Amino acid sequence: MNSLYNSTQPLIMHIDLNSCFATVEQQARVRLRGRPVAVVNRRTDQTMIVTASYEAKAAGVKLGMKLRDAKILCPDLVGVESDPPKYRYVYHKLLDIMNDYSAKVTMKSIDEGVIDFSEAPKAIVERGLESIGMEIKQRLLTEIGCWMRCNVGIAPNRFLAKTAAGLHKPDGLDIITADNLREVLGTLKLTDLTGIADRNAHRLESVGIYTPLQFLDTPADVLHGSVFKSINGEQWHQRLRGWEVDDVETMVKRVGRQYVLDRFDLTFDEILDRLHHLCESVGWRMRKQGLSARGIYVGTRTFGMEGDRRRSYWHATHVAVSPFFTDETIYSLARQLFINAPPNIRDINVHCYLLQQDEPSQISLFADQIARERAVTNAIDELNDRYGEHTVHAASTLTTGPFVKTKVPFGSTRYL
Amino acid sequence: MNDEIFLNERIDVLAKFGTGLNPCVPLKFRRPNGREIVISEIGLRHPTTKGRRAVHVFDVTDGEADYRIELDSERLTWHLTREGDRL
Repeated sequence: MNSLYNSTQPLIMHIDLNSCFATVEQQARVRLRGRPVAVVNRRTDQTMIVTASYEAKAAGVKLGMKLRDAKILCPDLVGVESDPPKYRYVYHKLLDIMNDYSAKVTMKSIDEGVIDFSEAPKAIVERGLESIGMEIKQRLLTEIGCWMRCNVGIAPNRFLAKTAAGLHKPDGLDIITADNLREVLGTLKLTDLTGIADRNAHRLESVGIYTPLQFLDTPADVLHGSVFKSINGEQWHQRLRGWEVDDVETMVKRVGRQYVLDRFDLTFDEILDRLHHLCESVGWRMRKQGLSARGIYVGTRTFGMEGDRRRSYWHATHVAVSPFFTDETIYSLARQLFINAPPNIRDINVHCYLLQQDEPSQISLFADQIARERAVTNAIDELNDRYGEHTVHAASTLTTGPFVKTKVPFGSTRYL
Repeated sequence: MNDEIFLNERIDVLAKFGTGLNPCVPLKFRRPNGREIVISEIGLRHPTTKGRRAVHVFDVTDGEADYRIELDSERLTWHLTREGDRL
């Protein structure tokens, strides 16, 4: 464990597109520029805001707010339906630009990524990361469009680079080193740190840590023993000092989708149709990655009774003896679980877990039947690949297409 | 809500094909009703697919309204697919 600050040359660059989806919409639609814009997933006033432009944020509009409520705060607000292919294009352009500087590039989500220059060619590193950061900003303008802006953060590790990228939004470029670490952390609140939300902030405050500087000065054994009660304590001690603890590859542990119902007066059969559509979508995603699953999870959030605004959660799981991969099996298992769901359903959530590579592992008594299922499923996937998503599907999902269509995958770049 | 009008109009397009970052630049288009739109700026050009058919989507403006025009790279046809309301 190293108690010193990491004083090596900062070689990690974090790039974060500013209000990504709203900025891309303003880039595409010239007449939206300079106006408050909110990107939403459905064209209704009940829908929640996915991204707000800086003009909207300045008027008090926040992510997760209902469009209807946001319009009270900002009457000029323009609601725009999300357009995933556009965001995917910008994501790939950004990735191409980042790949020009180092072979070690990790996209953290659809709108942010990290370049690790530790193994980059010497000629590139010698140019200085600040000038490369400025060049990347310029390339975004010339290669995507004149409205595109990004924040760049440079530091010795991923955590501080992300912190630096958040210091001066929009269009900032900041560097955190061992020399200015205390000065920077002195300007922040605990919840400004990535990974410290309300629960962790409460844990820290319970032992008298109220600021990032106090957090920095707390010994590792206190963080381990009294605050986090796990290895997270030591990791935070290292992370805050600029030592790398976040350069880890994550494995796919579950594949799933969540869907907030388009109306809350749907019959149970109509909700089952939407569940079926979700299962088709989950199955397709799982097979795209060459996986099959043994576990299935179905969950819902429900409204309370009339006049009762409390929400409750329900979920059920099932683990099968042998792995499954077809849409029909996923739906059949999910349906059996979902029949026990409580009334007043607000959203539905389906996940497959206990994933494994989809290859026949041993001879089965039902090998012929599985082979037939595989052939039919592959043929359907091939048709959907060729003619577009949801071309061949179950009859019960005939009418659900406009509602349950795939939206922006947050937090994961696996499907981009 | 910002109501865009969704269309599927086959249009005549005058475009310039060249080199550089933007090899295809639509300059103006004529709608079936005869109205001619002169493009003053291309906001964004992005590729997408309709099944396996590649389609190039151009979000453009004439300074008064925003339009979306699409070039089907297999059939070499242009369509006007959206018109943004005049803000």
